Amino acid sequence: MPRITGRRVSGGPSFNRWALLAVPPIVFLVAFFLVPLIVVSLRSVTDFPKPTGDALANYSRFFASAANLRVLGNTFWVAALSTVICLALGYPYAYLMNIVRPRLAGLLLIAVLLPFWSSLLVRTYAWQVILRDTGIINTFLLDAKVIEEPLQLIRTTLGVMLGMSQVLLPFMVLPIYAVMRRIDPEYTRAAANLGAPPFAAFRRVFLPLSLPGVLAGSLLVFVLALGFYITPALLGSPKDTMISQFIASAIQQRLDWGIGSTMAVILMGLTLAVLLAASRVVRLRDVFGSLEES
Amino acid sequence: MTIWRHSFLLVAASALLVGACSGGAGASPGGAAATGGTSASAAPTGAAPESVAPASADPAASSAADICTNPPKAPEGAALTFSSYGGAYQEAQRKGWLEPYAALTGVKFQESEDSSNATIKAQVESGQVTWDIVDVGNDFGLDANADLLEPLDYTKIKKDEILDGFAGTYRVADITYGVVLAYNTDKTGGQVPQGWADYFDTAKFPGKRGMYDYSAGGIFEVALMADGVAPKDLYPLDIPRAVKKLDTIKEDLVFWGSGAESQDLIGKGEVAMSLIWNGRAYSAKNIDKKPVEIQWKGQIVTSDYFVVPKGTPNKDLAMDFIAWATCKENNGAPSKYIPYGPTNKNAPADPANAAQLSVSNVDESTAYFDDVWVVENAQLLEDAYQEWKTK
Repeated sequence: MPRITGRRVSGGPSFNRWALLAVPPIVFLVAFFLVPLIVVSLRSVTDFPKPTGDALANYSRFFASAANLRVLGNTFWVAALSTVICLALGYPYAYLMNIVRPRLAGLLLIAVLLPFWSSLLVRTYAWQVILRDTGIINTFLLDAKVIEEPLQLIRTTLGVMLGMSQVLLPFMVLPIYAVMRRIDPEYTRAAANLGAPPFAAFRRVFLPLSLPGVLAGSLLVFVLALGFYITPALLGSPKDTMISQFIASAIQQRLDWGIGSTMAVILMGLTLAVLLAASRVVRLRDVFGSLEES
Repeated sequence: MTIWRHSFLLVAASALLVGACSGGAGASPGGAAATGGTSASAAPTGAAPESVAPASADPAASSAADICTNPPKAPEGAALTFSSYGGAYQEAQRKGWLEPYAALTGVKFQESEDSSNATIKAQVESGQVTWDIVDVGNDFGLDANADLLEPLDYTKIKKDEILDGFAGTYRVADITYGVVLAYNTDKTGGQVPQGWADYFDTAKFPGKRGMYDYSAGGIFEVALMADGVAPKDLYPLDIPRAVKKLDTIKEDLVFWGSGAESQDLIGKGEVAMSLIWNGRAYSAKNIDKKPVEIQWKGQIVTSDYFVVPKGTPNKDLAMDFIAWATCKENNGAPSKYIPYGPTNKNAPADPANAAQLSVSNVDESTAYFDDVWVVENAQLLEDAYQEWKTK
C-alpha cells in the first residue's frame, strides 16, 4: 500500500471530516491505555525494594527465579493448548455453520455466543460445581456405583482447558466462519467436476482457502489465553499457574509493584513478539479489524 | 459484508474486554477476612493494670478517658470513609462500631467493602486519598509501609490496654481472629484431629486438605508445628524443613484464595480439613449448617488492623474514631455479630460468642505470627513458596 504523505489535515478538499469522530476514542486510548502502559514500563526499571544503581534489577530478580520461568513457560504452553483445542472444536463448528441453512446458522451462532452473556467468574464457578470431587459428575457416578473414588477432574489441566476453551471458542469460530462464507462454493463443485473425491476437494481447495481464518482465530485465541488468570486459579492445579496470577499476587498481596510491572512488561513484550512473528504470515488487520478484502 | 465487518469489530472489542477482565477479576486474598498477628507473645485475656499516666500527659489522658464514653462531636457535615472486607465481617463492624459512633458524634460514615493494600498505595501515590480508616490484614502497616500511612495518635488511643505487640506506630489491632484447623466431621469418621500433625497425616485422616494460597498466610508455620516445632520457636522460619514437610501432602492440598472459597470447600466436604480463618469455619457450621468443627490446638492468633492512609484530610476525626473503637467499652461490640474478638485486654467479649473467639482459646499450643520477620522476609518466603508450589 502506498504511503500517503503530505496530506494536509486542515483545509484541502481531501480532508474527511468524519475522521474527527476518531479523536475522542484516540484521546481515551492514550489517556487510559497508552499512558498507564508507559507508567508501568517505567516502573519496572525504577521501582525497587531497595535502592540500586541497576535499572535492570527487577529483570534480574525475575529471571533469577526458577518458578517465574517455569510459570512463564507454562503460560505459553496453556495458551498453545487452548488454541489447539479451540481449533479442533471451532473449525468443524464453523464448517457446519457454513453449510447449513442461514436460519440454522443463526441459531448456531447464538449458541456459540451464549456464554458471553454471563460473567467469566460465574461460568468458572459453575465449572467448579460440575467438576469437583463433590460436584455433579462425581456425585452422580459415585451414587450410581460406577466409580468408587472421585475422578480427578478439577485441579487438572483438563479442568483449565474446559474452562478456557468455553470462553475462547467464539474467538476461533467467528473468524473462521467469516472466511468460509467468502469461499465460493463453486470452487469445491469445480474440484468435484474435475474428479476430486469429496475429501480431496476439501483438503486441496476448501481448506487452503479457509486458512486465513484459521490463522486469525488461532492468533486471537492464543493472545487472549496468555492473559488468563481466574480460570487456571480456580480449575487448575498449582502446576497450571499462569503468569497473571503472579502479577496479581505481586501487585495486590506483596505491594511489590516493581516486580509486578516487570512481569507485565515481559508478558507484553512476548505477546508483541508473537504478534510480530504472526504478522509475517497473517495480516493483523484481518485479525483485529475488518475482514473485508481490500 | 458490512454487517460482518461490524460484528467483527464488536468481537474484537469484546475480546479485549474479556482479556482485561480475566486479568483483573478475582478476590484479593490479602484480606478477605484478614490475615494475622505478631511476634510478641501476647497475653490476650487477663486484665492489665490500669495505666497511670504521667503528670505531663494529663490532658491527653483525660481526653482518652472521655473519648470512650463521650467522644467529641464531629463538625457539621463531617464524613469519614471506612474501608473493610465486606460481608458479615463489615456488617459486624458497622453494627458494633460505625452506627453507635455515628449516633454519638454525628459523623457520617461512607463505606467501601474492598479493602486492599494496593488501593491504599494507589491512593497515596496519586494524592487522591479517599479512605480515612482502613481495616487491613496483618501483613500491612509496619515500618515497611511508613510512607503510605499516618502515625497513629497515641495521645488518644490507649496503647497500654491493647494486647502486647498489637499496637504499632502506624497500626492498631481492631479485632483478633485465629488461623485454625477446621474439619468436616462427615469426612473424619468420628475421630477428632488433634492438631496440625493430624492435618499432615493422610493415612489416619484420608481426604484432601484446604490451604490458604499465600506464602505469609500460615502455610510454613503450620507445617513446622506439625513437624514438632514449638509455637514459640517458629521464627526465624526453617523454610527447608517446612517445605520438606509440605512435600508429604503436596498432592492432597487444595488451595483457596478467598474466605468464601475456604468456607465452601470445608462445608461441602471437598476437603476433609482446612487451614481456615475461624470466622469462616464458624459460618460454615452456623450459617451454612454444615458438619464443621474447629480444633483450636495450634491456632495462630492474629489480627486485623486499623490504619490511616497518609494525607487524608480527615486525620483527626479518624484518630478519634480509632481511639473510641479500641476502648474497652466499645472494642468487643462486633463480637456480638461475628466470632472475632476484642484486642483491648479489658474489653469484654459478647458472652454468647465468647467460646467461639480465638482469644478465648489460647493455651500453650497457640502460636503468633511474627509480622516483622515475615514482612522483612516476604520475598524469600514468596520465592520459596512458589518454587515449591509450581514445581
